[in-house]
Amino acid sequence: MSATTTRPQSAAGAEQRRAGQAKAGPARRKTPWRVRLRRDRSLILMTLPAVLLLGVFGYTPMLGLVMAFQSYDLYDGFLHSPWVGFANFQQLFTDPGFWHAFTNTLVLFSVQLLLFFPVPIALAILLDSLLSRRARGVIQGVVTLPHFFSWVMVITIFQQMLGGTGLLDTFLRQHGVANPVNIMTDPGAFKFLVASQLIWKEAGWSMIVYLAALAAISPSLYEAAAVDGAGWWQRLRHITLPGLKGITVLLLILNLGYALTFGFEQMLIQRGAVGPNASEVITTFAYQFGIVEGNFSYGAAAGLFLGVTSLILILAANKVAHLFGEDGLYHHK
Amino acid sequence: MRAAHAPTGGTSMNRRAFFGTAAAAAGAVAAAPLLAGCGQSGGSGTGTTSQSEIEKIMPSYVPSNLIKPQYASVDGSSPGFLTYPTTLVHTVREVPGDGGSFTGITPLWASIPSPSGNTYYAAVNKALGATLTMQPSNGNTYNNILPPLFSGNKLPDWIQIPTFWTAPLNFGQAVGAKLADLTPYLSGDKVKQYPNLAALFPGAWQAGIWNNKIYGIPVFPTEFTVAGYLYYRADILAKKGLGTPQIKNIDDLYNLGKEINDPKNKQWAFDDIWTALLQPFDIPPNPPNWATNDKGDLLAAWETPQIIEAMNWLAKVVKAGMMNPDAIAQDTNSAKQRFWSGQELITFDGQGAWLGADTQSGQAADKSYVRLAFPFFTASGSGTPKIALANGTEWFSYLNKNLSKSQIEELLRVANYLAAPFGSYEYTLVTFGAPATDYTMSSTGPVLTTTGNKQVAQTYSFLASPNQVLSSPGYAATTRARAVFEQQNAKYGYKPLFYDMNISPPASLNNAMAAATFTASTGNIIQEVVRGRSTIADFQSAVKEWQRNGGNALRTYFDHIRAKYGDA
Repeated sequence: MSATTTRPQSAAGAEQRRAGQAKAGPARRKTPWRVRLRRDRSLILMTLPAVLLLGVFGYTPMLGLVMAFQSYDLYDGFLHSPWVGFANFQQLFTDPGFWHAFTNTLVLFSVQLLLFFPVPIALAILLDSLLSRRARGVIQGVVTLPHFFSWVMVITIFQQMLGGTGLLDTFLRQHGVANPVNIMTDPGAFKFLVASQLIWKEAGWSMIVYLAALAAISPSLYEAAAVDGAGWWQRLRHITLPGLKGITVLLLILNLGYALTFGFEQMLIQRGAVGPNASEVITTFAYQFGIVEGNFSYGAAAGLFLGVTSLILILAANKVAHLFGEDGLYHHK
Repeated sequence: MRAAHAPTGGTSMNRRAFFGTAAAAAGAVAAAPLLAGCGQSGGSGTGTTSQSEIEKIMPSYVPSNLIKPQYASVDGSSPGFLTYPTTLVHTVREVPGDGGSFTGITPLWASIPSPSGNTYYAAVNKALGATLTMQPSNGNTYNNILPPLFSGNKLPDWIQIPTFWTAPLNFGQAVGAKLADLTPYLSGDKVKQYPNLAALFPGAWQAGIWNNKIYGIPVFPTEFTVAGYLYYRADILAKKGLGTPQIKNIDDLYNLGKEINDPKNKQWAFDDIWTALLQPFDIPPNPPNWATNDKGDLLAAWETPQIIEAMNWLAKVVKAGMMNPDAIAQDTNSAKQRFWSGQELITFDGQGAWLGADTQSGQAADKSYVRLAFPFFTASGSGTPKIALANGTEWFSYLNKNLSKSQIEELLRVANYLAAPFGSYEYTLVTFGAPATDYTMSSTGPVLTTTGNKQVAQTYSFLASPNQVLSSPGYAATTRARAVFEQQNAKYGYKPLFYDMNISPPASLNNAMAAATFTASTGNIIQEVVRGRSTIADFQSAVKEWQRNGGNALRTYFDHIRAKYGDA
C-alpha cells in the first residue's frame, strides 16, 4: 500500500500502452523497427529515465541475490564465497521462525487490505458529493497531509495518544483504572493498530486517484439517471461504482504485489513494543538475520523467496482480472 | 558510556540500546591469552592467541602519573578527581600530524554537531596538524551501520568498533582483511615512541590482539569494566522517607518497588532492568564467555537454571504494574528522560551514565535530581556478591589496512596526542575544545560556553583516549559518589571464563555466536517472557533451537580451546 505514488503512473502507463496498441494494431509486425523508433522516439525518450532508474536501483542490486546460494562471507566477497546450492532455503523452510513471519505477513496484510481498501473509495465519494469547493479543498488538504509524515512520526503520535503513558491511559489511571490496557504493546490488538495507522496516514492520499476517476465520469450520466427517477443509492450503484471499477481492480492487483513487502518500517519501529511474535514479517525477518545478526546469505534467501512469491501473486491477480474482463496491469486482447 | 572522563555536555550515552549486547557479546572481544588456532588453519583467521605469543608482542607499559587523584584506584576502580588543574601541562611537544587528511567514524550518543564552521573540530585539527574529518554516527543504531561498512568496502581511515558489536562481523577474519596490523609499530618497546599510548593499561592492549597481532587501539581503558549499575533516584526515595534503602536480596528490591510504585502520578518503580539482574542472579556473560555446571561442562548464559528465576522475577514485576509502560514498549531512546523526570525511580545503565553531564541533564528536569547506585548483592541474600568483568576495555579504534606506513605513523602520533592524560593541555583541548570560544576556565575547571555546548562532541576521544578517570568539573558530588561506590564495589569483580581472550570460531559457528546475545532473535524471547507474551517453555524451545543450530557445536569448539589454551 505504500505503492500509492506509483499508481497514477501505472494507470497512465496502461492507458498509453493501450493507446499505442490500438494505433499500431495488426499493422505492427510490418512496420520496420527503424520507422517505429522514429515514430515513438519522444515516448521512448520520456520513459528512458524511468528505465535507467529501474535498471540501476531495481535490477542491478538483484545480482547480489547470488549470495542466497552461497555461504556468503563478508571478507571473501561474491567471488570467493563457497557455493552451497539450496542449503539456505532448506534451512529457511524448516525454520519455524520464518513460517511464523510468513503467516504473520499474510494475516497482517489481509486485515490491512480489508480495513484499508474501502476507506479511500468511501472518502472520495463523500468528498465528491460536497458542493462547496472551499470545503472540499480544506478537507482534502487535511486528510492528505499525514501521507507526508514519516512512519516514526505517525507511530509517535499514536504512542502519545494510545501508549501506556499516553493521553488515554493517563486519563484512565487518574479516574480509577489501576492497570489500563496498553494498546501499543498488546499483541492481540496489533493487527488493528497497524491497520488504523495505515488508514490515518494513507487513506487521504490514496483517495486522490479515486477522485480523479470520479471526475472522469460524465455528469450527463447522473443527469439522465436523475431524470429517470434514480435515487442517490441507485446512482451510486449503477454509475459511480462501475465508473471506479477499473481503477479499483488495478490498485487491488498492485496492492497484492506488495502483500509480502508491505510495512517494513512500520513493523520494524514497533517490533520492540509489541514483540516479534506479533510483528515479525518477512522483511523484518530478513533484516534481523541479514543485517543485525550478520547472516547475509540467510537474509538474502528470505528476500529472494519473498520476491518470487510476490511476482507469482501479482501475475495470478492479473490473470484473475483478465478473466473478469478487466484490464488489470495491461490490456489483454 | 564508559567514557566517564568525558564531561562534554551532550555525551549522555544511552547504553541501554545495547547493554544487553554488551553483557552478552562483550566477551566477544576477549582479550587474548590464547593462541591461534585450536587446530584450525592459521590462515583462516580462526582460533586465538597463546599467552607466550602475547608476551612476545605486548606493548611495554610505562605508567604516567601526571596528577594525584583525590580518590585513588582501589581494586581497579577508576581514580576520581574533584578538582581540575589550573596549570595545564603539555605532554606532546611536537605537532603530531604531517598535514594529512583522514576520515574517522565514531558512535555518538548525543545530537550530531554541524561540521561546517565548527570551532571545536577546527581547533583540534589545527593542534593535530592534520585534517581528521570526524563523521559521528548515532550510537543507538551504530551496530547496524558496521556490517554495511565492511561489506561495502566503505571503511574510513580510522574507526571505533566496540567489542560487544564485533560478533556479527566475523571479527577474527575482519581484522586481517580490512584493518591495519599495528604490531610492527607498537610491540614491545616500539610503543615508547608514543608515551601516552604506552601508559594505557596492558589488559586493554591485550584485548586488542587478534590472531597474534595487535589491531585495536584501546579507548577508555579501565581495570574495572562491568555491564553497568542498578541506579535509583536517591532524592525521590529520600523524599518518600526511605532514606538510603538497603537491598540485601532480590525480595528487598521487589518490596521496595512495591512501596515506591505510583502509576497514578505517572511514577513507576522500574525501567526494564533485565541486564541488572544478571549480577544478583549470577548469570554469566554470553559466549564467548561461558559458565560451567557442577560437572565442569560449559554452559551459555541462557542454559543456566538461574536465568529462569531472573525472568520469572522480572515477569512478576511487569505483572504487578511496576515497570514503566514505555519501558515495556522497549522505548529505550527516552529511558534517560524518564529517569531524569522521575517517571521511573530504579533503572539500569552503564557505568558511564554516572557523570556530571547526567547530573546536569537530570537537574534540568528536576532540580533536586540525584543518581546513586545500589551496591552489588545476591538474589538469595547469602554468599558474596560477584559481577563479571568485561575485558580491559570494550572500546577499540582501528586503522584502515589501505593506509601507507607513513600514514599509519602519522595517525599513531595523533593517537598519542589524543591519549594525553587527564589534566594535560592536550586532554583539555580534546575534551573541551578551544579556550574562550568553546569553554572558559572557572574555579572548578573548564565550563563549556554556549558555542561549546553546541559544537563540542565526544568524537576524537572514541579514537584514542587516556586511561579512564572520573572527573566532572562543577559536579564534585557526582564524581565523589561514583568514585566511592567503585572503591567499595570493585572487589566483587571476577573474570569470567575466556576472559581477555579473542577467540574467532570458524565461519560455520559464527552465526551461533552472533545469535548468542540477548538482543538477537533468541534473546528476544526473554523480553517476551518477561512481558508475559511468551512462556518459559517457549524460551526453552528457543534455546534448544539455538543448541541445534550451532550452539552445541560452538560449545565443543570452546571445549577444544579450553583444553589447548586454558580458559583465562
